[in-house]
Amino acid sequence: MIAELFYRRQALVLGTLSMIGIVVFWQIAVDTGFINPFFISTPSQVAAEFMAQFEDGSVATNVAATLYCFVWSLGLAAVVGIVLGMLAGWFADVEAALEPFIWFKYSAPTVAFYPLFVAWLGYGTPTIIAIAFLFALTPIYANTLSGIKNTDRDLARAARSFGARPLDIFLRVALPGSVPVMMAGLRLGVGRALTGVVVAELFGANAGLGYAITYYGQLMQTTKMMVSIVIVVVLGVLLTQILSFLESKTDSWRVDSNR
Amino acid sequence: MAQIEIRDLGIDYRKPKSNEVFSAVDSVALSVEKGEFVTIVGSSGCGKSTLLMAVAGLVSLTRGSIEIDGKQVTGPGPDRAVVFQEASLLPWRSVRGNVKFGLEMQRWNGGDLNERAMQMIRLVGLGRFSDYHPHQLSGGMRQRVNIARALAVDPEVLLMDEPFGALDAQTREIMGAELLRIWERAKKTALFVTHDIDEAIFLADKIVVMGRNPGHIKEVIKVDLPRPRNEAILDSDAFHELRKRLRAHLAEDMSSMQLVQEVA
Repeated sequence: MIAELFYRRQALVLGTLSMIGIVVFWQIAVDTGFINPFFISTPSQVAAEFMAQFEDGSVATNVAATLYCFVWSLGLAAVVGIVLGMLAGWFADVEAALEPFIWFKYSAPTVAFYPLFVAWLGYGTPTIIAIAFLFALTPIYANTLSGIKNTDRDLARAARSFGARPLDIFLRVALPGSVPVMMAGLRLGVGRALTGVVVAELFGANAGLGYAITYYGQLMQTTKMMVSIVIVVVLGVLLTQILSFLESKTDSWRVDSNR
Repeated sequence: MAQIEIRDLGIDYRKPKSNEVFSAVDSVALSVEKGEFVTIVGSSGCGKSTLLMAVAGLVSLTRGSIEIDGKQVTGPGPDRAVVFQEASLLPWRSVRGNVKFGLEMQRWNGGDLNERAMQMIRLVGLGRFSDYHPHQLSGGMRQRVNIARALAVDPEVLLMDEPFGALDAQTREIMGAELLRIWERAKKTALFVTHDIDEAIFLADKIVVMGRNPGHIKEVIKVDLPRPRNEAILDSDAFHELRKRLRAHLAEDMSSMQLVQEVA
């Protein structure tokens, strides 16, 4: 226990140090003329530019636009993924019927559908949400499916011995037993939804972090572009951490969770 | 009339790959009186668990019949409750939640669920642990919860499938004595499957010895040791005598098993 805590602290310290190290190295490499700032800017310039963009409100505008699409796409993916996953996990026929679509999703890049969505929904928010929805859907669906499908047979049998009906077993055994796996799927879905939003924004949007990245990228304004890249990274880490925390809350009863 | 009446019971399985039919239990006849404690003993693969699961209504019969109080068994029912081997507790529910589970499944309406559950938890001696979760309990404590869950639904017949099989020898002995104490108070008919000879004798009014290929009853032995029993009877002459008899039965089974292995 203490050794574990010590190790976790040590890992935290080392991780922080290596992060700081990279930032310092980045600054020094540019300051000494080793790397041309045109390609990569510097931490101090990015920080200053962040303050500027923060004050003129463009950070808020872009983050709000990205989060708006993120929330919608993740929300839709969660509802559709969990409902379909539950049905497919419980009824083998539904799983078999959905399987080809999952193969497509795994083997074909989702962005390939982008032009199609543009044709249907036009440039902008609806298309971005649709692409990010597809990004996030797979892990949420797949995890829900495997959680329900791998319901502990001993528990199901014990329930049956007390006269449980199939619906009882689904609601009282399969579903609560799947919550941790479903949460893990949602955590993966969060990262993918954010990726989906930013990627779709790169192609066509009026606001958002992905939009800001391409916009300044095309103008060759590296520092301004780096601000949005850093925000995307921080946002991704933050959102995933929130989900990891929620996940740890739901699986405290799991004996095999090594915490 | 006997409470449990098993007549000419046969249970066949189809092996999943070869589609070969294999008989787990054949020509089993057994009657159990109300309030009797019957242990079923035999080496692994003798069909003792299958027999128990059939009485529970969790396995379908190929031949013959099982009656409880004159009623044909066609599936699980509130007149029976099963204590399984370890790990059949819901890990996300507390001790109380687990004991309530059987009552919830049976849509019990005999009063307050919590109160009923607490009563059973106290009966098995876990009063202080009602809010603990299974992973916080020892193997012996988990099996107490399992027993409390089965007793909570107030069954006529208590079916136990090697409930102490995963416990160490000492805990197993303590749990055996504890089970007798509970059983003497609850006055249930009990069917108890085990492969442990001492356990089979210590608990039983009647021992059913089963043999393999296919699973059948070799002998039914009356146990006339006085009740209430405690660990002291383990050293009595009558106990030694019974142990010798059971050993001989199981040794016979083991040697025929070795023969099969040698031929194969």
